[in-house]
Parts: sequence; structure tokens; C-alpha cells
Amino acid sequence: MAKNKRKNRYKKHLVHLFILPAALIYGVFQLYPLISAALNSFYSFNGFERVDFIGFQNFITLFTEKPYKDFFLNAFSHNWIYFFVTVITQLIISLILALIIHSKIKGKEFFKSMFFLPKLLSVIVIGFLFSLILNPTRGALNTLLEAIGLEAFTRPWLGDMSTALLSVIFVDSWASIGFSMLIFLAGLQAIDKEIFEAARIDGANSFTVLFKITLPMIGPALMIMTVLTFIGSFETFEYVFAMQGSSGGPYYSTDVLTTFFYRLAFGTVDGGQAIGLGSAVAVVLFIIIGMATSLILFVFKRKDFER
Amino acid sequence: MKKSLLFGMVLIICSGMLAACGGNGDSSGSSNEDAVELEMYSWRTEDRAAYEEIIAAFEEENPDIKIKFNPFDSTEYNTILTNALVSGTGPDIVQLRPYSGAQTIADNGYLVALDDIEGIENFDDSYLEAAQGSDGSTYGIPLSLNVGVIFYNQNIFEEYGLAVPETWEEFVSVSEELLANDIIPVAQGGRDAYLLSMLHGVIAPTAYGGNEFVDELTEGNTDLTDERMVASLDRMEEIAAFLPDDFVALDDNDAQALFYAEEAAMYINGDYRLETFENNIPDTPIGVIPGFKEEDGEEPLAMDWVDSSYGVVEGTEHEEEALKFMEFMASQEFGQTFSDSLNRVSAVDGVTATHEIVQQVTEASEANSTPYLMLVHYGEGSPTSKTIFEDGLQGMYLGEITKEDLLEQTQENAERAAEEGVEELEMIEEDE
Repeated sequence: MAKNKRKNRYKKHLVHLFILPAALIYGVFQLYPLISAALNSFYSFNGFERVDFIGFQNFITLFTEKPYKDFFLNAFSHNWIYFFVTVITQLIISLILALIIHSKIKGKEFFKSMFFLPKLLSVIVIGFLFSLILNPTRGALNTLLEAIGLEAFTRPWLGDMSTALLSVIFVDSWASIGFSMLIFLAGLQAIDKEIFEAARIDGANSFTVLFKITLPMIGPALMIMTVLTFIGSFETFEYVFAMQGSSGGPYYSTDVLTTFFYRLAFGTVDGGQAIGLGSAVAVVLFIIIGMATSLILFVFKRKDFER
Repeated sequence: MKKSLLFGMVLIICSGMLAACGGNGDSSGSSNEDAVELEMYSWRTEDRAAYEEIIAAFEEENPDIKIKFNPFDSTEYNTILTNALVSGTGPDIVQLRPYSGAQTIADNGYLVALDDIEGIENFDDSYLEAAQGSDGSTYGIPLSLNVGVIFYNQNIFEEYGLAVPETWEEFVSVSEELLANDIIPVAQGGRDAYLLSMLHGVIAPTAYGGNEFVDELTEGNTDLTDERMVASLDRMEEIAAFLPDDFVALDDNDAQALFYAEEAAMYINGDYRLETFENNIPDTPIGVIPGFKEEDGEEPLAMDWVDSSYGVVEGTEHEEEALKFMEFMASQEFGQTFSDSLNRVSAVDGVTATHEIVQQVTEASEANSTPYLMLVHYGEGSPTSKTIFEDGLQGMYLGEITKEDLLEQTQENAERAAEEGVEELEMIEEDE
């Protein structure tokens, strides 16, 4: 009897072994780089290896010395723009799309797959295609604008400082809109239909239903998407890199924290590597994302209690 | 169900083992059992065929040495090389970025000094500078020389009866003539900022007073905020009228396309683009302007720099064999084959190129040359001062920064980089 129990307990613990492969991969590819980047940010480098422990000197340099502080503030402000614009171009539009698809329209499944399709393409492919589309001389967009008599609106989309960042955000939103739409759709489908019926019987109009029932009921989906959008906006790298290169051109107008990090940590073909400073940027980025994510979660959770 | 799962797993494991065996088989599959195999890192993936041909010639003379040419993507090469050197699992022979790139690696003690190599006397001292450490020793054999040039389409020049410009003033009047005929004078993109440094390197030397100014800069008698440098940026502003519309939004491929389509008459870049043109527009007669003449100068001032060099990694087990290959790379025979197969200017003295234009460019750079100022003297710092300069040029063209501010920022960065350089050297010495 006792033996059997022990065997059972042994079996119970055996289960833990099964997380080992995943834990190993997580450790090697997530934890190790995270810890080593954190350590690197406290050291000076001779161009190759860690040399001396210099405390917070890399962080002090980053925030007080030219040109680093200017680069940092410039990139940081672009991340915020990225976030706020993405909320409009991706979140709000995808929510509207989800609401439309959730209402009884024809060809629901077709639209669902169509909107999700870009997500299946590789970022590099999308970046390359849109670089061609937005090309000032031979690009499809300017050609189209000219053909329909809107010459006044043609511009070098990716080469103009006022449109470059917005163009990149638009492309990112175009590609990601299907994903957030699906999350909202799942939230919508989880709402019990009887609630809507009851509201109708009580005489609520569509507006009241939307703001008093639908939106509060998909609160969790809204929260997840806001957090994901925030993290995405501050971690964004691929689209900027694919369309504007690591320098965040033209003249740093699309530079974000990750491209700034990339240039410092890996340098360019001409050199210019500064691993310690680069790691400091990565650590600051980690802290920003961590703090802001907790804040967003806190705000949404408190709302939950109020209700 | 369980059985099929087990079978699948066994299959995966077996195939993994097979692949691993295959990998081993490849590396030990040389015909000569006693041959020493040297691994050679490079970023010239596109030149693989030519390199293998050259290596085959070397292996024929030295049957006991095999060389494995291992090229990586250029943009990732620096990181790959750094990791290999630090972990000590690296190659025996490595391609080195010129000037500050090679210097950093040499100063950290990762390279073997090549001062006593046979054939090192075949190189001009200024070329050897591209691969020297702070101690003045040479750590790399310079491979090729790049010359920044103005390519022009001979058809267009003939059609409009234009003479090939020899000075900046002539260049301006030819460009105005082309503009009047609805031809873009110069196809140039500014989206890849390094092309703006290149543009400056080609058109600016006669504006800032050539080598006299460069000498003053390197001796510390003046700095980048000098009015001669400002004058060179005036010229950069002036040329904007002759570049395509929205050129800051165009990349190098767009620029080349304009040149191919004969919408543009000229194109500015390193002479290495010649090979690209030969492949893409073999029927278009291309001419080259190797630089502008200075006032009352007889020869055009050609802007040149060493493209790269090859060095031997310190601590390699096969230093003797690797040095033998270095001697081969320093020989006229190597220089000739290299120049002929890739249409490039060899850094070895006395090599005469077969290609007419390569010959013309070589002669020009031998007669009267000036260094690529930004690459040769401002490649230090993180970010490098060259990067600050060329990104700033983008800003200048977009009206975001004045010429004076741009030069001041570059100068500040250069001063900080110099301080950091001294600190790094001190750290290395302490380490030792």
C-alpha cells in the first residue's frame, strides 16, 4: 500500500520532467540573453570583450551625453507615436471590422480570411513589397494617384520625414489588423445572445447596446490587445528595418528604440559597435515595457472591480 | 498509435545522426590525407567562383595546403568575425575591414604581424596603412583598391555633343545642358546614406583643397568646421539640382535603374560597379571620369581607398601555412589574376589591368590621388563619425540641419571617438 503510494508520488513528480525540453529552450534563448544583456550593460567593452565593471556609467552616458541622449529621446518619442497611431489604425479599425463581421453579413468567412491573409506573409516580403509600392518614381501608389488626378497628393512616402514613420506604421497595421480582428471576434462571439435580446426588449437602441453591453463585455479582449499593441509598438523593429534600414532613415525620422539598440550593439558595416551602451538601451526598453504593461493591466483590472 | 509515434521519433533521431555524419564527411573529404586545411573568412559571397579559382592556383603550387573559402553575408560579417575571434574557434585567415576596422582587431591582439612577409614591399605605404595597428605594424595584406568615380553613358554624351567634363565647373555646365534636354544629369540615391558620403568623396576633394587640407586635418592644424569643408558642402548642395527628384527616397537600385534606362547620363560610385554594369548593360558604352582636376592641375584628383585586406589569426595552429598564403596574396601573380577575374584595381604594385577602364582608373589613382576622407580618417567611434556625417547629409538635403551644424556634430563625434580610442587602448594594455 505504502509502496504503491510512493510509486504514485514518484509518478506525479515525473510529470515535471516533461517541461524540461521547453524550459531548456526557454533558458537558452530567452533567459540567458536577457541576463547576459543585463550584465553587459554594467560593463565597459574594448571593442570585443567585457573589461571592467563600471556600474551605471553606460546608463548615465545614454541619458546625459550627446549624441546618445538625442538619439534616445528621438527614438523614444517615435515609439509613442507608433503606439498611439497603431491604436487608431489597427485597434479601432479592427474592432469596427470585427463588429461588422459579427453582424449578420454575407461572406463572413471570406472576409475573415481575407483580413487575416497578410499576417501569413513574411515581414521582409511585406516590407519589400511596400517599398516598391511607395517608391517615388515607379511606385504603384503614386502612379495610381496620378492616374485618378490626385497628383497633388503624390510624395516620396518613405523619403519624406513627415510621412516616413506614418507609412511604416500603416504597413504594420495593414499586416496585423487580421490578428486583432480575430481576437475581438472571439470576444464578441463569447457574449451570450440572450443579453442582446433582453436589451432589445427593454428598448435599447444599437448605440446603447454597443457602449453599454458589447464593449464592456469584450473588456478582456480590449485589455489584451492594448497590452499587445503597446508591447508591439515598443518592440517594433522588423518593419522599420525592412523598409528604412537600421539607421531609421531618412535622417532618423523612423528611428525607434530597437533600431537604435541594433546600431549600438551590432554596429554598421563601417563599425561603431558599443555593446555596453546597446545593452543599456535594451535594459531600459525592458523596464519601459514591463512598467507600462503592469500599469495598463492595473487600470483595466481596477475597472473590473468597479463594475 | 503509440508505435507509429515511436517509429517517427526513431526516424527523426536517425536522420539527425545521418546529417551529423554527413557534416563530418564533408570536412575530412580532402584527397590529400596529410594536407593542412586553412579556413578563410570573407564577406565576398558574390566572388566565390573567382576566389576558388585563385585558391586552386595556390593549392597546385602547395599541394600540402588546402584552403576552405568561407564567405558570409557582408552585413553580418563583423558580428560573425568578432564572435569567432573572441571564442577562439575561428578561422586561420580573415578578411579585414579597412582602416579602423582592422586596427581594432589588431590592437586587441587577434592578428599576426606581417611586417616581414616576402612581397610586402610590393605595396604602397599608404595602402598598408589600411591594415595597421596603433603600434604601426602591418597586420593585413591589402587586396584591392577602390576608386570613387563618375560613370557616364557615352551614347548620351555623343548624342548631345557634350565634352567629358574635367573640372567641377565643366561638370556643372554639362549637367545644365543635360537638364535642358530633360535628361537627369546624375543618377544617385540618398536613401542609403553611405552613398552620400561617397558622393561627397568623389566631388568634394577639389572643393576643400585636396591633400593639403587632409594633411592639415590629420596633423590637427584644423578641423571639420573649417570653411574649406563648408565650401565642399556648398558643392553638395549645388549638385542636388542635378540629381533625380526625391533622391533621398531612392536607393542604389533605383539609381542604377535610371542609369540603365538611359534616363540619367551619369552615376557616381566606386569603380567596383563596373562589373555590375558589364553584367547588366553590356551593350552600353560606359566611360569613367576618375575625378576632377584642381585649379591649374594637370591630372584629375582620384579619390581612392583600400577595400579590404587579409590577415592571419594569432594563435592559429597553422601559422606557417597561413603566412605562405599571405605571401601568395602579396605576389604579382595573385594581383594579376585577381584584377583580371574581377575587373578590380589590385593593391599590388605593378599589376596592369586588362580591362581598359580599370587600367584608366588605376593610372589615375597612381598619378594623383586623395584618400576617401570620411572612411579613412573618420571611421572611428560608436556611432562612427562617418555615419553621423552621412546621416546628417540626408538631414541637410531634407532641410533639417544646416551645413555648419552638421560639420560641428561630426567634429564633436570625432573628438569623442578619439578619446574613447585612447581609453580602449589603455584598457587593452592593462589587460595584457
